[in-house]
Amino acid sequence: MAHPDSQRLEAYFDNEISAPDAADIDLHVEQCAECRTQLQDLVRLRAALRQDLGHYQVPQAMRTRLARALDQESGTDSRRPSRVPFWAGAFGGACATAMVAVIAFVIFFPPPGNALVDQLVDAHLRSLMPDHLIDVESTDKHTVKPWFAGHADVSPAVGDFEQQGYRLMGGRADYVDRQRAAVIVYQHGAHLINVFSWADDRRGLPRSLTRNGYQLVFWRSGDLDYCAISDTAPDELQRLIGLLQALGELRGINPGVNRNPPG
Amino acid sequence: MDEKRRRFEAQVMPHLDAAFRFARWLSRSPGDADDIVQDAVLRAYRGFNALRGSDAKGWLLAIVRNCHATSVSQLRRRALVPLPEEHDVRDGHVLVADTGDPQHESILADEARTLDELIAALPQDYREVLILREIEELDYREIAGVVNVPIGTVMSRLSRARAALKKHWHLRASGDTHGTS
Ligand SMILES: [Zn+2]
Repeated sequence: MAHPDSQRLEAYFDNEISAPDAADIDLHVEQCAECRTQLQDLVRLRAALRQDLGHYQVPQAMRTRLARALDQESGTDSRRPSRVPFWAGAFGGACATAMVAVIAFVIFFPPPGNALVDQLVDAHLRSLMPDHLIDVESTDKHTVKPWFAGHADVSPAVGDFEQQGYRLMGGRADYVDRQRAAVIVYQHGAHLINVFSWADDRRGLPRSLTRNGYQLVFWRSGDLDYCAISDTAPDELQRLIGLLQALGELRGINPGVNRNPPG
Repeated sequence: MDEKRRRFEAQVMPHLDAAFRFARWLSRSPGDADDIVQDAVLRAYRGFNALRGSDAKGWLLAIVRNCHATSVSQLRRRALVPLPEEHDVRDGHVLVADTGDPQHESILADEARTLDELIAALPQDYREVLILREIEELDYREIAGVVNVPIGTVMSRLSRARAALKKHWHLRASGDTHGTS
């Protein structure tokens, strides 16, 4: 197969072509360094754009202004005295206080795990920059796993799922929540998947979510917390996680935390 | 809160950040973005009953785009600085709005410029498609709906916007490697 032209390769990258066509390009990309470079450029460009331009959020003052404008528009101006019977006053007052407390809570105490999610997304974006993805480059799990023993505090499940379409690219040591974390990097079609793992500290994990266009899925296995993050389709990411979890169960009670961490 | 307002809050308001970002990258000015979004949200609310289906995000972004096109400062800017039409931009040529401002003309050639400024220097036709795809994650069909062009046009504009940025990405990368000043 000849190189797909740039629009077709981009449509592949954007998940805009049919599954059989994508399979053809999968095959080509496996063998074509030139197209892999093109895809890598697209991945980096997207990561850079999302890092630089994706963080703008509506200022709180503007939200308040909009809410007021909508109140006027819908004729339910919240500043108007409410027409509640006098006997409901005390009860209503208590409710209103509770409401204010709830709103204050939501504004000032973001849900736990937010900082963790931000850190993981940042680490994922950083990894997509040139030369930040991989510390130990290997498609052999027998090379990656021992490397972690010397460079991270944890030794996560490392599997090679090339047959299933998830190519092991290597590993990296990173930090999550001020702990040393092990990251395993997989390539799936045009997408990169970072699988972070760190020692579970019993603080609970955030629910799976999407942030800046990246899907984050959390789970716990043995004494490790895991987070897989990627811009691949959710079910494709879930499939890799299924494979990793099966691997974790195979390992049984083997501890993932290195009892004698290096350094 | 009445039923319409409740549905509006649930379906449309979650896309407020997207509307704000899009307005910001269209207008290239945070101040203008405020006005555009306020205008767009109110118009969206008034026209909310007309929204069918679930694509509230694309719908809101299309309204933002209309508000931007008709905003006073945009009209003023258009009069001063005509943006090139698609047929004016030839393949291989760097996509820069011809502002007549020498500082602008060299933007894409200057490797020290930030990605931010590179985006701002793209003509709107290319900039909006790029932002809708890469930042707002709309698919080609949704982008075609917002911008009101065929999908093929979305693809070619997206590809050329990416090519323009990638080119300067490479310049910058090679600048880093060789440590040129
Ligand atoms: Zn090729």
